[in-house]
Amino acid sequence: MKTELLVIGGGPGGYTAAFRAADLGRKVVLVDKRERLGGVCLNVGCIPSKALLHAARVIEEAREMSAHGLAFAEVKPDLDKLRDWKQATIDRLTMGLASLARQRGVTVVSGTAQFTGAHEIVVAGTDGERRIAFDQAIIAAGSEPMALPFIPTDPRIIDSTGALELARIPERLLILGGGIIGLEMATVYLALGARVTVVEAMDQLIPGADRDLVAPLHKHLRKRCEAILVGAKVTAVEPREEGLDIRIEGAEGARTERFDMLLVAVGRRPNGARLGAAAAGVKVDASGFIPVDGQMRTNIAHIFAIGDVVGQPMLAHKATHEAKVAAEVASGDEHARFDARVIPSVAYTDPEIAWVGLTEGRAKAEGIAIGKGVFPWAASGRALSIGRDEGMTKLLFDPNTGRLLGAGIVGPNAGELIAEAALAIEMGADATDLALTIHPHPTLSETVAMAAEAFTGTLTDLLVPKRA
Amino acid sequence: MTLPITVPDIGDVKDAAIIEILVKPGDDVAIDDILIVLETDKATLEVPAPSAGRVHSISVAIGDKVGFGTAILILEESTGAASAPIVAASSSQAAPPPPPAPAAIEPITVPAPPPPMAQTPATGLQPHASPSLRRFARELGVDLTRITGTGPKGRISREDVQGFIKQAIDRPAASAGEGLSLLPWPQVDFAKFGPIERQPLSRIKKISGANLARNAIVIPHVTNFDEADVTALDAFRVEVNKTQGAKVTMLAFIIKAAVAALKAHPNFNASLDGDDLILKRYFHIGFAADTPNGLVVPVIRDADSKGILDIAAETAALSALARDGKLKPADMQGGCFTVSSLGGIGGTGFTPIINAPEVAILGAARAQMKPVWDGSAFQPRLIMPVSLSWDHRVIDGAAAAGFLVTLCTLLADFRRVSL
Repeated sequence: MKTELLVIGGGPGGYTAAFRAADLGRKVVLVDKRERLGGVCLNVGCIPSKALLHAARVIEEAREMSAHGLAFAEVKPDLDKLRDWKQATIDRLTMGLASLARQRGVTVVSGTAQFTGAHEIVVAGTDGERRIAFDQAIIAAGSEPMALPFIPTDPRIIDSTGALELARIPERLLILGGGIIGLEMATVYLALGARVTVVEAMDQLIPGADRDLVAPLHKHLRKRCEAILVGAKVTAVEPREEGLDIRIEGAEGARTERFDMLLVAVGRRPNGARLGAAAAGVKVDASGFIPVDGQMRTNIAHIFAIGDVVGQPMLAHKATHEAKVAAEVASGDEHARFDARVIPSVAYTDPEIAWVGLTEGRAKAEGIAIGKGVFPWAASGRALSIGRDEGMTKLLFDPNTGRLLGAGIVGPNAGELIAEAALAIEMGADATDLALTIHPHPTLSETVAMAAEAFTGTLTDLLVPKRA
Repeated sequence: MTLPITVPDIGDVKDAAIIEILVKPGDDVAIDDILIVLETDKATLEVPAPSAGRVHSISVAIGDKVGFGTAILILEESTGAASAPIVAASSSQAAPPPPPAPAAIEPITVPAPPPPMAQTPATGLQPHASPSLRRFARELGVDLTRITGTGPKGRISREDVQGFIKQAIDRPAASAGEGLSLLPWPQVDFAKFGPIERQPLSRIKKISGANLARNAIVIPHVTNFDEADVTALDAFRVEVNKTQGAKVTMLAFIIKAAVAALKAHPNFNASLDGDDLILKRYFHIGFAADTPNGLVVPVIRDADSKGILDIAAETAALSALARDGKLKPADMQGGCFTVSSLGGIGGTGFTPIINAPEVAILGAARAQMKPVWDGSAFQPRLIMPVSLSWDHRVIDGAAAAGFLVTLCTLLADFRRVSL
């Protein structure tokens, strides 16, 4: 088999690169180890977790309204049906991808790819081995959940993939890792009735986000979890018949407790070292990342790499953006470049946390002068009318030019709201631009304009103390 | 032009640690800007940029252990530093879709470790331009930080980029011609490295130097090489000197042969005048004469109408005047073609610089006895290496090779000069 462009990995990065290159007239072969396209994101990541988070939200909102005149019977989750529904969502999307690949003439090969040279891979599939010669390649091999060496193998010890399988609802669940994935799963399992403890090694949950954004989530979770232990770690796991005896060491000393299930969500590891890249001369660093330049080229000029395998943040929307750059450069567009100024991050927890660009923490650490505009959702009619007043919209501006440098939002739908800030940063909009853009009322999106007005001094929905 | 930068000789150190990297791919650096800082167990050392340019890729990371010769980064040298081209060379990363054949695969660049991409915006200093405009600027190779936007709050518009390009295109046209933007001459305090002595250049050296520099830069020089079998000619020369009591040098024969070659190849007896070629119907041949004060080129007038003995006597007389500094300007004017002979000194060949406005110059090196295969055996033959530098605006390679063949044939069988 021979192709012009080979894409390794069928996740959001891989299929986007393959489709874009095909649209540019290239002959493309896409190799993925899964039978179905979509990678981690569609199969065992973003999409199934969002389906379950939606279920969790419905449960929580029903519970919240019971105090306000809408009493429902307690929800009885039917895990089989819930799983079917989640799977139907995945199926619909992966089938859609398969059809898009067909329509574009992209050849999809399933199996595990290994480089055998700078212009050839061998794919080991269920029907044997197959060699594919290529002129150019794009590596989009993604990442996988990181395992910890001291944690034994046991069916009750799961990673994010296992958590999304929703095999059962444990009575007591320990989540190791208070990052985005761990807390999203905490949100799901809490709604479905598990008692949850979260252990995070850093001194705050979601360490990449500003503390003031995390605070409402932390407060919300603290009320509902058995415990949230920050600055703590799990040091031993002993599987017993009756449960998992887990030793936790933290500020308040060490203790051993019994749990029914342990979810390990301590991060993801790139798959750069699993491809035999050395046979092609492609450099892979010690952590398994493949270094690339601004055009997504590896050290080998005709081989590109994109997505999780090239570096943090490991996000599908970063991968798809990089995918287009790589496909365009590989197809002869020398001007394509990864030139995005910011990449938004979202935790789809309850409440959601989203941020983009400069954070207050980084501004402080690097001595970057900022002006801040904050609008607490307690003053938003829409936030109150959905029964959630803990949210906050925070915008960070350049104090001289007023240009937006960063934004952080916590509250329901923060992930949807952050896109406006990303656009504003890319366009070079300043506080006045945001303040003078008419936002529909009553919406949560208004809070962005109001945070800008808090900075410009024109806000009337709150009494902001005058700045000196 | 890319320039790989490696760790300089830092003494017998193989594992100096990189503690600082002060540049990133895409950065413009000036000469002597510090690129990286190394730390050995004895000291920290800064590695400066050997020339101005743009950092293309970095192949080391902080903490790497390096030693003499370790590749650090690749620099794209800028052609002119002081007035660096405004339109950045963005085509350097261009890659045509058909990739190189397998055999040609080599790691081309080692890119820097993946940048923390989410951490791009730091301050409001970034150009006020939308993503689509940034792409437009990339297509034209425009560095947006060099544009002042005319939109509200300094926003850069499409028209701003177009205007900037237009200005950049117009600017060189205004000062058309000799606008060679070269690096400043390196300033070195030589006394720092050892004892020195300062000696002013002679007047001749100053004048000839300026002329040579202009000729070397302006004329597209090409030099062809050939060998002339001068066994018979030299035997004849020795015989003439014996029987005539004269002092005939090889130079006189070369001048005479050159005249015959110029007659056969008239384009070499020419000068460029704008879009016209001036073909000369006279044969004044200059010859390079070495003097204690520098090089001069006296001219033998009408060499075509003079015999070998006359030419020999005249070159000797002009050389004597030159050595005494008594050559008159008229003695050095009107040349059609120049011969530079180092045969009396040595060497196996050289590339002479054309004496403008002439279009070619002949160099002759020392003749040596060499074995030459005659078809059945090696014969000892006296072989003189000759070189011909020519102005590619007037002459092409085939003509130059033909001229040398003619010349060598004449020197091998000097009877043909009279044909």
